[in-house]
Amino acid sequence: MQVTRLRSAYLLLALAAGLGAGDVPSAAGRRFFNDDPIQREPDSQDASNVAPWDIDLYVDLTLNLFARMGDKTPNVRAGNINTIDEVPDSNWFTNRIGLRPVTIDQAANGPLVNPAPAPGRWTVTAPKRSGFAPGFTMRDSSDALWFVSFDADGFPEAATGAVMVANKIFWTLGYWQVENQLISVRRDQLDISPTAKFTPMSGRQRPMKLSDLDDVFARAQRAADGSYRAVAARGLPGKVLGGFRYYGTRPDDPNDIVPHEHRRELRALKVFGAWTNLVDMKAGNTLDTMVTENSRGVVRHFLQDVGSTFGSGANGPREYDEGYEYLIDLGLLKKRFFLLGFPSAPWMTVPYEDNYAIGRFEGTEFDPLDWKPRVPTAAFLSARADDNFWAARRVAAFNEEMIRALVKTGQYSKPADEKLLADVLVQRRDKIARTYMGAINPLIDFVLSADGRLSFKNAAVDAGVGKPPANGYQAVWSAYDNTADTASAIGSPTATTGTDVQGPGGLPAAAGGFVKISVAGVGAEQAAWNQPVDVYFRRTAAGWQLVGVDRMPAAK
Amino acid sequence: MDECACHWIQYARRGLLVTLALSALLLGPGVANAQESREESIAAAQAEKAKHLAPYVPNRAEALLSRALTALTVEPNGFYPMFGSIYSGGGFTLGAGYRHFVSDRASVNASGLYSIKNYKLFDVSFHTGSKRARPELTVKVGWRDATQVGYRGLGIDSPEDRSNFRMQQAYGGAELTERPVSWAIFRAGLTYEDFSLSEGSGGAPSIEEVHTPVTAPGLGESPTYLHANVSAGIDTRPATEYARHGGLYEVAYHKYSDRDDTFTFDRLDAEIVQHVPILRENWVFSFRGRLQTTLSDSDIVPYFLLPALGSGSSLRGYSSWRFRDRHSLLFSGEYRWTPSRLAMDVAIFYDAGTMADRLDSLTIGHMKSDVGFGLRFHSPVATPLRIELAKGSEGLRLVFAGSAAF
Repeated sequence: MQVTRLRSAYLLLALAAGLGAGDVPSAAGRRFFNDDPIQREPDSQDASNVAPWDIDLYVDLTLNLFARMGDKTPNVRAGNINTIDEVPDSNWFTNRIGLRPVTIDQAANGPLVNPAPAPGRWTVTAPKRSGFAPGFTMRDSSDALWFVSFDADGFPEAATGAVMVANKIFWTLGYWQVENQLISVRRDQLDISPTAKFTPMSGRQRPMKLSDLDDVFARAQRAADGSYRAVAARGLPGKVLGGFRYYGTRPDDPNDIVPHEHRRELRALKVFGAWTNLVDMKAGNTLDTMVTENSRGVVRHFLQDVGSTFGSGANGPREYDEGYEYLIDLGLLKKRFFLLGFPSAPWMTVPYEDNYAIGRFEGTEFDPLDWKPRVPTAAFLSARADDNFWAARRVAAFNEEMIRALVKTGQYSKPADEKLLADVLVQRRDKIARTYMGAINPLIDFVLSADGRLSFKNAAVDAGVGKPPANGYQAVWSAYDNTADTASAIGSPTATTGTDVQGPGGLPAAAGGFVKISVAGVGAEQAAWNQPVDVYFRRTAAGWQLVGVDRMPAAK
Repeated sequence: MDECACHWIQYARRGLLVTLALSALLLGPGVANAQESREESIAAAQAEKAKHLAPYVPNRAEALLSRALTALTVEPNGFYPMFGSIYSGGGFTLGAGYRHFVSDRASVNASGLYSIKNYKLFDVSFHTGSKRARPELTVKVGWRDATQVGYRGLGIDSPEDRSNFRMQQAYGGAELTERPVSWAIFRAGLTYEDFSLSEGSGGAPSIEEVHTPVTAPGLGESPTYLHANVSAGIDTRPATEYARHGGLYEVAYHKYSDRDDTFTFDRLDAEIVQHVPILRENWVFSFRGRLQTTLSDSDIVPYFLLPALGSGSSLRGYSSWRFRDRHSLLFSGEYRWTPSRLAMDVAIFYDAGTMADRLDSLTIGHMKSDVGFGLRFHSPVATPLRIELAKGSEGLRLVFAGSAAF
């Protein structure tokens, strides 16, 4: 009890020091450093001694279902963003769509840098060790390592198509992804490695035999020509360290200093997950590997398996309630227990197309705010409106042409399947943009010209999911003291009905001076748009440089 | 250093790292420090953590969960605990088994069970195959001792007063199961069954004190049988021990050949189960019909092998073996709802059944019935715990079972 109290007290102090106490920096402090905003999150320490760990599926599942994991403090701003509210590149995330131009060809190529499995004889080196889809591990004729998984019998193209498309989507969003190749496997091209081991029902490991693949192929969808369609995931370079959790940090990784529930790119998976129906948010679907950068060992974090997407699971269509309810929701359980199964839920009546390849995936009844993964995910529970907005901007950046090109990489044999998946993704994209861009002031791309004219964009209006505020925008201008964290008004607020506004006279002219501008909508339909975004500029010899964006200043 | 102080230091370090990390990365607004750049600031936080690196140690909750999961995991080879049933009405039963695989899919299993009513079971079996690796073959020998099995006479109107008998059964035989396609199931078996009947124990009088061979056919005899059975069924349920859709349509034929032919008889069992899901299985109406009929009116079926009703798997509001006769008919209906589709079902049920000495005497108008309420804790394929409260004309009964109702 005493420890719990001490911990609670200390966490409060810690968070106050990290977030709130910054309102009153010490004499030596400053809000913006000269290198702000940083574009890359550094890994400054050698992490070579990080030890592999194995996160037990059932322990992970149980803890997430029945306990609130990670920091429970509400309304904590993401801890790994830079000063302009963006996520720097890192071994977790690489900015692509939404921040940098991504061509359709680049998106459709995704993470691929190496060729497909070399043709010829392939050698099975191990049975599949995780997941429910039938598969195995093999080396191709050039000795490259591949993890192979098949479509379940009766559901052609479902699992493999989902993996291929989701792999490209999540790469384009910025996550580290494995290289997946769609392949065709024939039983007669397989050999068994003399070192391959197999553990049958008896539990006693023995050398693997070709006949051990009987069960794998019995559960896999066989094509008319006797071949089997599969996804081959190239083995990742570097030492495999196991998965990561969506809360806490890895205690033996010196560079892992931001609790995962406070990492924006992990919080953002709530929005990306809703878009793609990525319901299986477990540590087992992630993978950390040790790579060498600048002669140091550092940990790279992969979203290894994003195949639990759209409307199909490893062995057929999803359960109807997936995406709508947690596996166990004690509050709901209590209600339904006493109310004879009521209240009813949307999943009970949502109409789905009868489609084996895409499964149960639809956009008409979909509500992003109601979407849920299988288990409560700490990073999702910590997500704030600014995190959701950041994610929604990226979803909205996928134009229809790109979505259709990405869906094509699933190589669905029926055009109707391809159309259904793309149509639903477009529908869900629009709903996500409308929902999350309407929930916070969506002004972006602030530029302050040397002569003091501020221009910006409204991301929601540009995405076609909102109308400009009826009475335009108002800007409140201040000189900002970077050391004392104080602002003093400059002139009167200025207003515009467009997306640029002239500042008052008297802006700091000397290099190193800062200006703070609070920009809010006036008369916007969405109340949140009438709340200001605080933006900060630093005067440099070349003009004004954007150094700070705080989309939720009132949340401090 | 006491434990609390150690924890405090750990939490303090962890908190400090969180603070440093958030401060270093975040400007909302940030904090003061001695570094000259953001990168240096982050590097300082990482360097600070580097001083306190520790291997991952599961916390108390994780360790506890891991231990619990390990305890629940049954290894393929070795000893394992058993919670089962020796014979209906035996009460709470515990036991242990030992399994040893002799090849990839073939195992030898020895088990022993004991119940609070002094029922005993020893069983040694050989099993090969699986649902996927067809066919399945089970060969078994064993001995069962049920010390106080209830008997109340013949027919649906038999009196409530109970007598007990003791049944000891030595058996040895084999059964083959084949599923040529996922929805079809065929079984064939041959078993040698040697029964020894004697005075019952427990609070009720022994059977011979109350009944005669007229009211308890075969009383005083201990026949030995060669029991042959074949069955064929259509089974579209996703799992036999838990289903919210699909059905079972099965017919089984049993031939009990008495060694001296006195008590030879043939029985036909027909069972229909159908689960009707409503609104994506949030609600399920489940129906069951079962007929057990002795094929020849001239055959004598000994009292302990007569079709029966009563128990947690038939007429749930009545005690085990409450009704016995040559023919039985059972209907059950359930309204189920699923507060959690991963873990729990709730059901309101109704059972009705009747017995008769002639098939054409089985009438729907003359049935015993019960109503009840049940909780089922389940996985996607099994029902490890079913708790039901049922009310029949003879009072309330609480059912604890480790299997699906039907």
